[in-house]
Amino acid sequence: MSPVGAAQAHAAALAGLPGMTPSRLARILDGFCPATALTAVRAGAHPADRNRRFAEDAARVDVGEVARRHAREGVAVLLPDLPGYPAPLVGDPGAPAVLFASGDPGVVDGRPRVAIVGTRSPTPYGCQVASELARDLSAEGVTVVSGLAHGIDGAAHAGVVRGSTDGGAPPVAVVGTGLDIVYPPANRELWGQVAARGVVFSESGLGTKPHPGVFPARNRIIAALSHVVVVVESHHRGGSLYTAEAAARRSIPVCAVPGSVRSRASDGTNGLLVDGCAPVRDAADVLVALSLAGAAGFTRRHGTSAAPASRCAGRGSATGAVPSLTAAQHAVLQAVEEIPTAFETILVRSGLSIAATAEACERLAERGLLAEGAGWWSKRH
Amino acid sequence: MIAAIPSAVLIGVDATPVSVEVHVSNGLPGFTVVGLPDAAVRESRDRVRAALLSSGLSWPLRRVTVNLAPSGLRKGGAGLDLPIAVGVLVASGELDPQAVAGTAFVGELGLDGSLRGVAGPVVLAGALRGHRLVVPVSSAREAGLAGRVEVRASPSLGALVEQLSGRRPWSRPPGAPASAHGAGPGSVEATGLDLADVRGQRLARRALEVSAAGGHHVLLVGPPGSGKTMLATRLPGLLPDLAPATALEVTRIHSVAGMPLPGDGLVRRPPFRAPHHGVSPVAMVGGGTTWMRPGEISLAHGGVLFLDEMGEFSPTVLDALRQPLEEGQVRVSRARGSTTFPARFTLVGAMNPCPCGEGGAPGACRCSDAARERYARRLSAPLLDRFDIAIRVDRPGADDLMGTAPVESTATVAGRVAGARRRAVGRGVPVNAELPARAFGDTAPLDRRAVALVERQVRSGTLSARGFDRVRRLARTVADLGGDGGPVREEHVREALLLRCRRDLLLGTGLG
Repeated sequence: MSPVGAAQAHAAALAGLPGMTPSRLARILDGFCPATALTAVRAGAHPADRNRRFAEDAARVDVGEVARRHAREGVAVLLPDLPGYPAPLVGDPGAPAVLFASGDPGVVDGRPRVAIVGTRSPTPYGCQVASELARDLSAEGVTVVSGLAHGIDGAAHAGVVRGSTDGGAPPVAVVGTGLDIVYPPANRELWGQVAARGVVFSESGLGTKPHPGVFPARNRIIAALSHVVVVVESHHRGGSLYTAEAAARRSIPVCAVPGSVRSRASDGTNGLLVDGCAPVRDAADVLVALSLAGAAGFTRRHGTSAAPASRCAGRGSATGAVPSLTAAQHAVLQAVEEIPTAFETILVRSGLSIAATAEACERLAERGLLAEGAGWWSKRH
Repeated sequence: MIAAIPSAVLIGVDATPVSVEVHVSNGLPGFTVVGLPDAAVRESRDRVRAALLSSGLSWPLRRVTVNLAPSGLRKGGAGLDLPIAVGVLVASGELDPQAVAGTAFVGELGLDGSLRGVAGPVVLAGALRGHRLVVPVSSAREAGLAGRVEVRASPSLGALVEQLSGRRPWSRPPGAPASAHGAGPGSVEATGLDLADVRGQRLARRALEVSAAGGHHVLLVGPPGSGKTMLATRLPGLLPDLAPATALEVTRIHSVAGMPLPGDGLVRRPPFRAPHHGVSPVAMVGGGTTWMRPGEISLAHGGVLFLDEMGEFSPTVLDALRQPLEEGQVRVSRARGSTTFPARFTLVGAMNPCPCGEGGAPGACRCSDAARERYARRLSAPLLDRFDIAIRVDRPGADDLMGTAPVESTATVAGRVAGARRRAVGRGVPVNAELPARAFGDTAPLDRRAVALVERQVRSGTLSARGFDRVRRLARTVADLGGDGGPVREEHVREALLLRCRRDLLLGTGLG
């Protein structure tokens, strides 16, 4: 890890002041070198802090200790004018004035980058698609950018990490909290893996806890870092639509994964499709969007050949093409929708007895065609 | 002159005889009540005096002392008004002592001399066996249920004096309303709640049937508007009539609580209680000062206790249910004494799996995992453990509402339930939910294929040892409902696995 220099330490000290926001920090550092800015804030003379909101806290902060703390945590402090700052963000209207990085910030450069984002409360379908998309894109050498959040974001990163033990493009994450605060805690292991294999960015100082404001703000960085943004599942007015908006403002193409019109988790993405975003079925569609399709040589799943066998089984089952299923199992499979289906619904649609339906569900689960979670049944793809 | 009038007061769901001694002597006119009276009894001084005067009787202008024996016992309730008034009349010579010999009195007095009904006449009459008992007209029918007590009814104090001296016939207790006759298991006449009203919800209907047959507690998990309350209110209709001993017990409890009793006075149908989630711990388990009142769990004795929005009940109230659920009774102890209330009921809980109201449907529910986890934790693990059955209940879809499939009525299902319950009784337990685990080998043997199924579940980690016991009891009930008293077969186990209580139902979306 690069040692934390004087400019970086002063900037990190300013970023770490209690109540500091990205926009305020940008105004404080705009046109000043960090050391001068900190001195001015301490003296209460900074034009961006006229009401001396930060003067007291700034006076107390020990810049040397800040530098040591970042070195200890292995967190690099990147400033726009200095080497190491991600090239895609240079010149961006919303570029963070200070960017913290855990891992190797260099992985951002030189590769196509695709953001895979979506809702924090997805369906199993969304999780699977996000995970597969990320795995396949990474295997094609495309860097996957996401937010390490619950749901789709986490599934995308998990797809990269699990899918490519070697050779895949390193993952990039942009989080809302300080880099020493893992949120959500359930993603701790994933967070470490992403930092180890790629990089985790944040514009919040160390110790910044999750609060509702930080997440929409970090979405603009995810958009700015990417060549293409793919929304996998999003609710009507979901948070991932902020990312899509931020991308649209930067003329970055936004694609969406179609979902069932009955699935609430696909309201936002289906809306994006109606608005004219390109649909994404698999990694090949994303590569087309990246104008890289030919170079990558990715085989289309919807083509005539080379579709993975497991997918064939999943797709076949929906049309009743899987052999050696009993009539009851067929009926149950037909009754399960693309969105998770309640047992009661299966019971009504199949018209079977409770015991027979339960048996068919169990057999199908054994064969990997259905999966159950919390009383909901869904198809395995 | 002195008079001693027998009467009784309530203590919990029991009554204890009290002797009301009245002494009228020369001295400064006054009226004192001694012998640990509570506020209601102390106030009876004013009621008795006014009632006597408005009935055209004279109040002795002498010193009146009333003692309530045994004097160590605290006495509450207004039922002692009447014996005090009679005692004063006898002691002051207005009434012939011979006329009241061997007669006990219970009743509250109005200022105009009318007699008002009291709580718990069944129980009070039971404590006064061997006496002739005079009660207000409105309490007469219930008092008569106790049996072996000669009950006399009177409308007012003035009439009573004439009746005691034989100048006026005793009043007839009001006749029983005819409507409640013939209400039995499967009869919806009394309540109008038929299982056939529930559209769709096949799994939930089956869960109710199994619960009724095996006495299993049920947890219904689902969003608002999915019909959880509708389902729960149909459970009592599936239960058989109360056994005679239980019926009398339930009648006593209801009588003490002042609840209206059915036509002929005896509560034969299982009661249904649905306390609001704001209920206090005392209102739930019973208690109170002076006169221990049965709580909701005792009022539900022999029937169904329905707790809607279980997550909203205070944790103290919910955890207070654990011991009665285990023992079928609750012992309420206070500084002044303790009493035991019977409390054997089927618990039906209803709960939303998450705060947003979408019922934890994957993709639709917007609650964070942490929020769902917090919500689920409102049910402590030991309480959740008492539920044998837990199922998801969702809003019926168009498929269900438009469906024309014939739906079974309460009467049909109640018939199967009665048959299954008879099988359980043949095994020596009242219901299968109480089958001891050590006797499973005899009571609920599994056939070869059922064993294989259970083994698969245990190996894959989806079934715990505790869950296994639960599944065996449920599977036994499912088999009994099918009219199958032999070994438990695979399909019975499969259904039991589907119905059994699993914590993850409450945690909403289980995503991988």
